[in-house]
Amino acid sequence: MGITCEEVWRDISDYVDDELDPKRRTALEEHFAECRHCAAVLEGTCNVIRLYRDVRVLAPPKGFHDRLHQRLDETLNLGPKERIHTSRRAVLAWGLAAAAAASLGFAIFSAKRTIWPRLEHQNRPGSPDSPAVTGLVAVSQDTDDKVYHVAGCSHLQGKPKFLPVEEAIREGYTSCVYCIGKARPKQKS
Amino acid sequence: MADWDPSGSVLAQRRTPVCATTVGAENDTRNDRIRSNEEVLINRILEGEKDLFLELIRPYQRTVYATLISMLGSKEDAEDVTQDVLLKALARLQQFRRESAFGTWLIQIAINEARMRKRKMRHGIMFPLTNGADEDGAYVPKEFADWREIPSEALERSEIREALAKALTLLEEHYRLAFILRDVNELSITETANILGITRGAVKTRLRRARLMLRDILSPGLQQGGQVGLAFKEVRKPWE
Repeated sequence: MGITCEEVWRDISDYVDDELDPKRRTALEEHFAECRHCAAVLEGTCNVIRLYRDVRVLAPPKGFHDRLHQRLDETLNLGPKERIHTSRRAVLAWGLAAAAAASLGFAIFSAKRTIWPRLEHQNRPGSPDSPAVTGLVAVSQDTDDKVYHVAGCSHLQGKPKFLPVEEAIREGYTSCVYCIGKARPKQKS
Repeated sequence: MADWDPSGSVLAQRRTPVCATTVGAENDTRNDRIRSNEEVLINRILEGEKDLFLELIRPYQRTVYATLISMLGSKEDAEDVTQDVLLKALARLQQFRRESAFGTWLIQIAINEARMRKRKMRHGIMFPLTNGADEDGAYVPKEFADWREIPSEALERSEIREALAKALTLLEEHYRLAFILRDVNELSITETANILGITRGAVKTRLRRARLMLRDILSPGLQQGGQVGLAFKEVRKPWE
């Protein structure tokens, strides 16, 4: 036997690929004729290659070609189809935008219906929080009751300080229920 | 081991290209003819006959898919990326410089796409059991049982096809890719080297190890003409 099994294993793949020079190839073939182990390795290697070359192995799954062709068809027919798709997409986008706008409009409308009356109510003269008076109002310099009054209100305690009503509201003062608010006491005639 | 017959199939085949894997003059002629036809098709596609693209890619659908499934592991991902690759090829056909075969160019796009997809997924799909540190070392076969040619009918059995697909996943990617390009896609060693950006010698080394490892993995289940039940799951890893 001219060459060892180890040498054969090193060259066996090149032998399969016909990458060996003729002398080396002949040496391997002589070895295969005498060594059943190496012949079995060669046989098995050839089987592996033969099996994997079969188109059934690693083949695409069922429906693969149809799905591929469908996608390619869509791309190849870029003209009208793409335009159709584009227009469909545009219609869809506009539809969604319109729906969103409608929802927003409805939300605003509802909010106005719900909130506006309250604001109206708050701004109505006589409301405790509304500036039922304009101009200057009086607040007490000596107490922290945070209530503003019209000048001369008998419920104003301590020394008065005058400030615009807007400023009083901004500073957290609320109107006096007697002189300004709707719970204004009955005026003594 | 079955009785060994020195005049059996191995020696009977030795005067013909072993395993019919060699790229002989006949194959060269066939490849030249295919390439010439592809040139015509590509020119017509670029001139506007885009419907011909389906004809151009028909021979490569399986090779692109096989390459991608060997890299990505999942059938769904492989199909998805195959479609992307072919669409990309259509979009870039103008850029195809014709220095390589069209099929080689397609495979290059496929490998790049698969690598990008894997980076995006950021998780390993394959679980190779091989140790790549000893790439240049000699590989010692572990299985010496006779393994006669598997009849073609055996591949009708889905479990055999599945076993073959699964065996590939046990190889490290660089072995797997070399094997896929050379033995499944039937590219030449030089084309394989060009695609992988390695030398011909490195391709040969990877091929040798891939082929022998696959043989060791598969032969316990597939010997005796694939008639025995697959021992794939129980097979001892020969490199351990």
